[in-house]
Amino acid sequence: MTQIIFAPGIEDEGGLPVMIAGIITGNLEAKPERQNDFNALNGNIYMRAHDAYVDMTMVFEKGKLSVHSGKVGNPRISICTDSETLLDLANINIKFGLPHYFDYAGLAILKKLFLTRELEIKGLFAHPIMLTRFTKLMSCR
Amino acid sequence: MPYTFGTPEWEEAFKKLTQERIATQPRPFVVFSPEWIGEWEKYVQNDAKYKELAQPNWENPVILHMLKNPALGVDQDIYVKLDLWHNGECRSIRYIPNTAVGQPGDFVVTGTVERWLAVGRKQLDVTKGMMQGKLKLKGDLPTIVKAVKSSVRIVETVGEVDGKFPDELTPEQTEAFRKVVQDLTKEFNIT
Repeated sequence: MTQIIFAPGIEDEGGLPVMIAGIITGNLEAKPERQNDFNALNGNIYMRAHDAYVDMTMVFEKGKLSVHSGKVGNPRISICTDSETLLDLANINIKFGLPHYFDYAGLAILKKLFLTRELEIKGLFAHPIMLTRFTKLMSCR
Repeated sequence: MPYTFGTPEWEEAFKKLTQERIATQPRPFVVFSPEWIGEWEKYVQNDAKYKELAQPNWENPVILHMLKNPALGVDQDIYVKLDLWHNGECRSIRYIPNTAVGQPGDFVVTGTVERWLAVGRKQLDVTKGMMQGKLKLKGDLPTIVKAVKSSVRIVETVGEVDGKFPDELTPEQTEAFRKVVQDLTKEFNIT
């Protein structure tokens, strides 16, 4: 059973934090093999949908996740983009246990990351394993 | 005697009512009135953009939930179910009672009347609205995220069917709309 805790008031407000937590919960139920990735994550991941003016922090503690509005602590990874691209991140395919960036969905993400800069990920090079594990947790594919 | 929801009699009576009102009511129809729902159904059934974005194996209904606002003639929550099927087929759009909401596979998008009006007027982007919690989404998130573009398209069509919004009505028209919803609620057992 995945342990996800919401900071007070967040569940009633809904929005980005509840959606992302819902995606992670649903994915772990449908793909229990990703539980190892969840259990291994340790540290904060920050997300911001700049066009919707909403942000959130996920605090992973080796098998536990607490979800907060806004920025909490000093995130190892920060993901900042528009609402649509944030949801596109959940459509990255996983092949052989790793995110696959060489299909339509993956290439669109790479283009936004390296060419158009519509997607900004801080910690991409400093914490690649953490990012890979998180991408797997987020992927609905 | 009200019709029992889910029976062939209910379905037949609802279709008949919708067709009669489409033929007799002045246009533009009030958004979310039975006649407008009838027009919206035709629009979604013929929407090329939705068909292009829809998943070939989609089988989940999407339910739009409008929270009550008596000042705008909506005395009780309204649930409208889009029965969506493979390859962008929309089999029907119907009011449903709250007891029929929350079946496995349902996706429910909830908002106040004002939020739905903002969506209809293209003042509120559906994806942003969900991220901001202005529209609340319930259901299996991974399933709907895989089909996010088609789901957003469905909600967008609310604003593309010609209609008069409840906040544009005169007080007399608001009362008439209230009565239509009340009668419908009783006759079709959709409380």
